[in-house]
Amino acid sequence: MASEGNGGGLAIYALRRVINAVPLVLGVVVVNFVLIALAPGDPVTSLIGEYPAPPEYVERVRHDFGLDRSIPERLILYVANVARGDLGFSFANRQSVTTLLLQRLGRTLVLMLSTVVVATAVGLLLGVLSARRPGSLTDRGATGFALVGYAVPEFWLGQLLILVFAVWLGWLPAGGFRSVRVEYVGFAAALDSFRHMLLPMAALSFRYMAITTRLTRASLLEVMSAQYITAARGRGLSENAVLWRHALRAAALPVVTVIGYNFAFIVAGSALVETVFGWPGIGRLMYDSIYTRDYPVLLGILLFVSVTVILVNLITDALYAVLDPRVRY
Amino acid sequence: MFWTRLKRSAPVAVALLLAVPAFAQETPVPGGTAIVVLGSDPEHLNPGISTSYPVGAVGVNVYSGLVRLAADGRPEGDLASGWTVSDDNLTYTFTLRAANFHDGTPVTSADVVYSMLEVEAPNHGRFKTAFDRIASITAPDAGTVVITLKEPYAPLLSLLTAFDAAVLPKHLFEGTDPLTNPANDAPIGSGPFKFGTWVRGERIEVVRNDDYYLEPALLDRVIFRVVPQDVGRSTALEVGEADLLWGFYMPPVDLPRLAADPNLQTWTGITIPALYFMFINTNTPRLDDVRVRQALMYAIDREQIVEQAQGGLGQAGSGPFGAGFAYAYSAATDYRTLYPYDPDKAKALLAEAGVTGLKLRFVYDSARGAFAAAGNIIRDQLRRVGIEVELQPAERAVMVERVYGGDYDITMQSFTSGGDPAIGYHRIYRSAAPGTPFVNASGYSNAQVDEWLEEAGGLADQDARKAYYDRADEVLAHDVPVMVLFDELASEAAAGNLRGMRTLLDQRDGLEYLWFAKP
Repeated sequence: MASEGNGGGLAIYALRRVINAVPLVLGVVVVNFVLIALAPGDPVTSLIGEYPAPPEYVERVRHDFGLDRSIPERLILYVANVARGDLGFSFANRQSVTTLLLQRLGRTLVLMLSTVVVATAVGLLLGVLSARRPGSLTDRGATGFALVGYAVPEFWLGQLLILVFAVWLGWLPAGGFRSVRVEYVGFAAALDSFRHMLLPMAALSFRYMAITTRLTRASLLEVMSAQYITAARGRGLSENAVLWRHALRAAALPVVTVIGYNFAFIVAGSALVETVFGWPGIGRLMYDSIYTRDYPVLLGILLFVSVTVILVNLITDALYAVLDPRVRY
Repeated sequence: MFWTRLKRSAPVAVALLLAVPAFAQETPVPGGTAIVVLGSDPEHLNPGISTSYPVGAVGVNVYSGLVRLAADGRPEGDLASGWTVSDDNLTYTFTLRAANFHDGTPVTSADVVYSMLEVEAPNHGRFKTAFDRIASITAPDAGTVVITLKEPYAPLLSLLTAFDAAVLPKHLFEGTDPLTNPANDAPIGSGPFKFGTWVRGERIEVVRNDDYYLEPALLDRVIFRVVPQDVGRSTALEVGEADLLWGFYMPPVDLPRLAADPNLQTWTGITIPALYFMFINTNTPRLDDVRVRQALMYAIDREQIVEQAQGGLGQAGSGPFGAGFAYAYSAATDYRTLYPYDPDKAKALLAEAGVTGLKLRFVYDSARGAFAAAGNIIRDQLRRVGIEVELQPAERAVMVERVYGGDYDITMQSFTSGGDPAIGYHRIYRSAAPGTPFVNASGYSNAQVDEWLEEAGGLADQDARKAYYDRADEVLAHDVPVMVLFDELASEAAAGNLRGMRTLLDQRDGLEYLWFAKP
């Protein structure tokens, strides 16, 4: 409809963004590498348990993991390896970082994607309900909910949800991503995973739901006072048609942009939520890796996260162009 | 008359009737799966190269050692059906049972010798303390292992369990680097459970070994479930998502709540003694003065710390080596009588030493809730005698670097004895080179004490050992380079119908004895 002639421009724009992203990602890797390498604390300590280990053993472990080399040397080696696609070897998990990330990635993606979808959908809905009748009970309720949702930290909310829904009511599991006692298959397995996902998703999505609600509401109120909306009403369209077919599309644009912006925060929040719920995803891996100073894994995760954030922002910007015919690249 | 007699005998009859089902219920019932909580994913599953708690938890049930420690601490035969000790206490001859590894290969003395010499001696901290005193380990035939000591060493047998000297399959490890061998992640042992699967970050499954050389396990499977957050572990138990939670992973404050839960059972007691204490950095100016250190002892109310920081799960410090081992404890140096809580005495000592306005940095592992709580109490107590304490929580990796690098004033730690003071406690006081983690960080070095501890560690006769410990106790109680706070009280929480826990000394050991009683 609107972006016919824009296809080529969009593709070039996307390509330019990707090329610009490379030095950015490289910068992220270098800075994080140096920060982690300079941080106090030795990865070997977490590997040897609570009893003094023989010094030859400690030396050998350090050598095996390349810790006896200087920081610049290690950095160059690391970047060279990454360029070849080798993300290194994890001290604490004894596997290649790539294997480790791929294993845990799916679980985090499932959580994050469902969070984004649910939070956006619910947020849009609540925002619309709020904006229809500003100042009404619905509006005040949704606003109050949004304020609380924005203020509450995810990990505390997670623990509260566990207390209420798992301990007191016994409706949902207290943690993990599937039942440990019984091995379900097929549909039962999917249902089991779904049940385990509900609480972590709720904890993770609350804040984002709140942001989306407020943003939709504000954006919609602004759009609703535009002239073309008045014109639509004048043409005899019902309030619902005006709202859902015309106003919302315009009002959704800031929300789409904000998805990309907030994605990074959702990833950060997932580290905490995954730890609270024992969800074996990348977020928890990041938390564990900081504790054990498992820097190849940490760098691998940061690399992945920065690439993903850049990608998601690129997609939302492209989506913006698709949704809004006024935008040309 | 008849009714009177009936009424009188009724209580007895009722009691008998109630007792019958109780008796009937105590016959072990095979089958089922128990879920055991781990607080973190083990790095690997080879207890021969690590002293880490979760590695031992899984490893000791998959691998065997020559001996194992019964509930009362006595060594009994595991892979070894028996052993003899020469009159001079230097030569131990072990006879091996007929046993197979989980892949069907027979276990022979060659596996034992290989494991000890090539894997554990260079890589295992605790086994090395035994190995330093061993002259030779030989296998005269496939079913016999002979260990010869350089001088008598009492704790030897305690260091030959699967925790410290696991028997690894030589045919899988020989010629490889034990630190990177893939068998570390999929262990083939000879223990009561076979390795099943490991979903990293989530669970480790082991299944019953029907070919086990002793009585096969009662359970079909044990699943070790990783619950990273400490508050989540008790919750898992409460909602039925786990069956067994060891005190090592349980926040002490959760115990009363779990004890009150009708569906759960709890236990507290002493298994392997462990000590909670504070290193005092004797290299810090002022802290090198023994009067100042003694003042600290008078100024700290250890009972209060046990009550409020450890939830009552401890016995307030009774001497340089605690009260866990009778021969290492001396009534003359009981800290409860020698250093009772006396802030005035503390102030007097500080005045005598000419110390005013002392500021101390208290470094501790931020992940240990009990340490944080104790820190607050100690800061309060020391403030009353005019000493300012700055709490410096640090994550474990940083804490280790700071403490064992000498960058602290006081620090709280906990060490397990490992079953014998010579294994786990001597390292607290023995002279140590700076920079080695998990040994003496106080900078205290007393050659005479070192010698006495060496002697005490080598003797088998407890009275002879006590003579040396008494002397060491006297000096250490006077010098107090280390403030012993309390002996830890172990604890455990489990599903109400789980039986067979703590059949062996270490809570992690003997999972083959677990079974579920019918509700």
